[in-house]
Amino acid sequence: MQTQANLFQHRPSAQWLLETAVAGIIRSATYLVLIAAACIFLTIGIKGAQTVFTSHWPFVNVPFFTEKPSTLYVFEWQGQKREMSDDAFRAFKAAQKVEEIPAETYAHSAGGILPCIVGTVLLVLGSMTIALFLGISSAIYLSEYSRDWWLLRLIRLAIMNLAGVPSIVFGLFGFALFVGYFKWNVSLLAGWFTLAFMVLPVVITSAEEALKAVPQGFREGSLALGATKWQTIRTNVLPYAIPGILTSSILGIARVAGETAPILFTAAYVVLDKYPWQVAKWTDFFFQPVQALPYHIYVVSSKIPQNEYTERMQYGTAFVFLALVLLISLGSVLLRLRLREKLKW
Amino acid sequence: MKNPNRFDRKRLRIDHFIQWFFGSNALLAIIVLALITLFLFREGAEFFPQNLQNLRNYRLAGLEYVGIMRDQIEAHTSLNRSLQDLRLRQSNALLKRQSNALLKLGKTPEQISTALVPFDAFAASFDSSVEELRGLVSEWTDAVSEIKDKAKLREDALQQRQFLLKEGKRAEADAVRVTQIDFAAELAPIRSGFPLYRKASVAFRGKIETLLLQPPPLAARELQPRFEQFQKAARAYLASFPATERQLAKWEQFAPVPWHRAVTSFLFGKEWITNSFWQDWYGVLPLLTGSVLVAAIALAIAVPLGVCAAIYVSELATPLEQQLIKPYIEFISAIPSVVIGFFGVAVLGERLRELTQWQALSWISGFPISERLNAFTAGCLLALMAVPTIFSLAEDAINSVPRAFKEASYALGATRLQTMFRILIPASLSGIVSAVLLGFGRVIGETMVVLLCAGNRIAIPDFTQGLSAVFQPVHTMTGIVAQELGEVPNGTIHYRALFMVGLLLFFLALGINWLAQGIVRRYKISAG
Amino acid sequence: MDEIPKTAAPPEPVAHAAIEVDHLDFFYGDHQALYDIHLQIPAHKVTAFIGPSGCGKSTLLRCFNRMNDLVPVARIGHGQVRIHGTDIYGPKVDPIELRKRVGMVFQKSNPFPKSIYENVIYGLRIQGRTNRNELDEVVERSLRQAALWDEVKDRLHESGLGLSGGQQQRLCIARAIAVEPEIILMDEPCSALDPIATSKVEELIFDLKKLYTIVIVTHNMQQAGRCSDVTAFFYLGKLIEMDRTEKIFTNPGEKQTEDYITGRFG
Repeated sequence: MQTQANLFQHRPSAQWLLETAVAGIIRSATYLVLIAAACIFLTIGIKGAQTVFTSHWPFVNVPFFTEKPSTLYVFEWQGQKREMSDDAFRAFKAAQKVEEIPAETYAHSAGGILPCIVGTVLLVLGSMTIALFLGISSAIYLSEYSRDWWLLRLIRLAIMNLAGVPSIVFGLFGFALFVGYFKWNVSLLAGWFTLAFMVLPVVITSAEEALKAVPQGFREGSLALGATKWQTIRTNVLPYAIPGILTSSILGIARVAGETAPILFTAAYVVLDKYPWQVAKWTDFFFQPVQALPYHIYVVSSKIPQNEYTERMQYGTAFVFLALVLLISLGSVLLRLRLREKLKW
Repeated sequence: MKNPNRFDRKRLRIDHFIQWFFGSNALLAIIVLALITLFLFREGAEFFPQNLQNLRNYRLAGLEYVGIMRDQIEAHTSLNRSLQDLRLRQSNALLKRQSNALLKLGKTPEQISTALVPFDAFAASFDSSVEELRGLVSEWTDAVSEIKDKAKLREDALQQRQFLLKEGKRAEADAVRVTQIDFAAELAPIRSGFPLYRKASVAFRGKIETLLLQPPPLAARELQPRFEQFQKAARAYLASFPATERQLAKWEQFAPVPWHRAVTSFLFGKEWITNSFWQDWYGVLPLLTGSVLVAAIALAIAVPLGVCAAIYVSELATPLEQQLIKPYIEFISAIPSVVIGFFGVAVLGERLRELTQWQALSWISGFPISERLNAFTAGCLLALMAVPTIFSLAEDAINSVPRAFKEASYALGATRLQTMFRILIPASLSGIVSAVLLGFGRVIGETMVVLLCAGNRIAIPDFTQGLSAVFQPVHTMTGIVAQELGEVPNGTIHYRALFMVGLLLFFLALGINWLAQGIVRRYKISAG
Repeated sequence: MDEIPKTAAPPEPVAHAAIEVDHLDFFYGDHQALYDIHLQIPAHKVTAFIGPSGCGKSTLLRCFNRMNDLVPVARIGHGQVRIHGTDIYGPKVDPIELRKRVGMVFQKSNPFPKSIYENVIYGLRIQGRTNRNELDEVVERSLRQAALWDEVKDRLHESGLGLSGGQQQRLCIARAIAVEPEIILMDEPCSALDPIATSKVEELIFDLKKLYTIVIVTHNMQQAGRCSDVTAFFYLGKLIEMDRTEKIFTNPGEKQTEDYITGRFG
């Protein structure tokens, strides 16, 4: 056999060189994307971590998570440079018994972001409750009850198109309908409905997919035993679809939490004196504006100048927000993997 | 058979109710879509009558008339600017010559200014030649602005009266004073001043003609072509005077403004000027150009990257890479846009500017760039947002190509590359095209990144400068709505104009979506 | 009335018909699936439907408990299906009530992803029965009838999906009989089972006919021969012949039936 030449031996050629070169280009393009994203993650991660974490016990910048944003005062006192938040500065002046200390002020650069976190959580909870209720209901109709007729096709078309509507248009719509026409003003409720309508297509699509994944045999088996349609859905379809629906709806949560444009004019305020739970009547709760993380980032990155003092707040907020959204997405991915392993029929 | 009907339908009523409940929920998508259209129209539609009134007032109050003269002066100002530019170039050339020739010519800064004295004298007299005309026009400008303000007051009063009447407060409505404005009489003094204008214009023209006959010697010879260019432009400017005069003479105060101007001035208007003392214009073209330019930049970057990444992951990557890259790109799509925008403001804008200042890159037109935040910065960031969309759809399209195609190709001895470019990409092309369209839809509707990073200058980029137009700051449709809606009073023309922009954006997004779906559907039929 | 006399009249005339099909035409959209089917299914007997694939036997079976209602384009063209004298496509018939009395076992066993216990009592649960003792009793009785009790009595609360294929199918039968139907429809119940599991299910069918009227669709000639009393042969949507099973298998009246049984086509 050694005498016979290997017919299938590899031969370097121009074609081979081209092949390698093009593969190289394709690979470097892919890695360019990965590196670009890594730049964002790392910049915000490293700079934000300096605000969020501390080098001494408890290793987390507690005031950052428990205080409201406030103005930073930087001044010299007895030869020493000092930085203080609004309240602390006033207390300091009172303690030193001086009327006025010349100080430089930096808006939004002191304190923490608790109201923003609370506001975002409230917005997400409310809008997802609404979106899940409406979305699952319509998905049940689409996958369980409907027959193929023009209205159904119209509904599907509408859902697909709704998914492509820019978020700022939802903002305009919410402003015109909820804030203006319903006279809810800039409020939590208006934000909830605006965001809920925005994620509705995501929820409907994922819920329908989850319902379709339940084997037809479950339905037939149940119906053949004399169950009504609703009994079948309630006992033999929904329970197996719910995990799937919730898992893919988490993506909707990430979108609701991450969008800024829809809440610009419907729910968000730059600064509020009170926390959302400090309301006179319980009905006021729904009709109050809130602060929100994405809106806060928008404000601190566009309305105040960049310098060493403001940077801490900017990166810190961005870090917390990014971490929050990425954790939600990570949860969605992990849950989906587990679900795929667990539910096999 | 004792019981003739043993299968009585008693429970169907509840079931029907439940079905109707779910059915009505499913209609919600249609209802929301309809409500969006309805409410954007409801708030925006009145823009057109208001805009028409705006345009009519522009004519009636004589703003249009004086505007013709203002344009004439504006053209002079821009000629003046080009002279200033020429001066700068001369002094730069002299400075350069000095360093190159190692002081052989021996020109210090003082000497440079001395060398430029004749040119400066020329420029100064060119500048001052317009004084008389400018004085006249600025006087008239104030006068017509006053007429416009009166018209505005009258309209407000009319509106208030109508509002009161609607509320049923008759007495108060009658108390609102609505003054009549005799536009003809108000404008008469200005129109009768036409001979004054003519006199000033002739004098102005004479001055420039004399100046052009005595061109100053240029300190730097190589700039002669530029000066000749200026001379040519100046002569063309003078040649336009008779036309301007005719236009003024022919101008009719009471010529009707056709209704469609309200629409065309919005769709094709080149200026978006608000809160101006002179005249507000609501032309969407600069915003639309801005949006499209930013989206085009983003796609030009994102399409190759996204498609390459899709090809890489589905065809070339090792299993480990596949498992890591796919979720990673999914993560990229989860980054909130406002965080990306913040990154642009805080990091990328500055880095890009530093990059363009490298000597090695100075051959590229427009480098170094002057603005940190511009269409390119926003485009780069939007590209990163569009990559995941394009990647996942393109990957689906590539994966949905039947295995048999690929195997057949390999079996014939084709290499991976050949299989990829001859089989896979053609077969998934329409899928990729629709991925690109959907990416375009996502990019053009994106708000926060462009609001933060596009520079927010409301002007059509100067495309005559070639590629460097992408480094100019722009404003976008999404950005203007986000920026201005919070600051305008409800019901004003400005407020309604923003809703019209939103409506345009809405239909644009629907159109793109529709196109993409059409392609997907055709593609599915051809694949099946 | 013209077709049945063509074949040899059954030696034992159908004294008590559970299901009467009266000149039934059936369509899927524009496609006619059944042509003028006219037959009577005797009570407390096993009736087998045989015929090549696509001949309409499953469609007819699914007409008996209106499972075809779930197919959007399916409709009855002409004719009636009567169960114990009631026209089941009549205006006042609730398909839900119908299905409680006409149970069904599917080709592919489809236990719910619940425990064995919950699977069996599912039909009772949806009728709102909650008495624990009664349910326990039903579970034991049904599983015994389905010859599954001994195999699963120690793991009633484990998932039904953990059973073997044959056990799963018997579980589905147990589930069907737990609601005490009058008629059980079986749509190729053994097609996905191995021979041992098949023989167990066949034995079960034999036992069950004392209590229930059974209609079984099968591809398997031997199975029809072994466990049915009456056999109906369908071809291209038409009923070709229906008679006592021994008669069909030994001395069929129609040429097509003979060709099919002897394996010349299908």
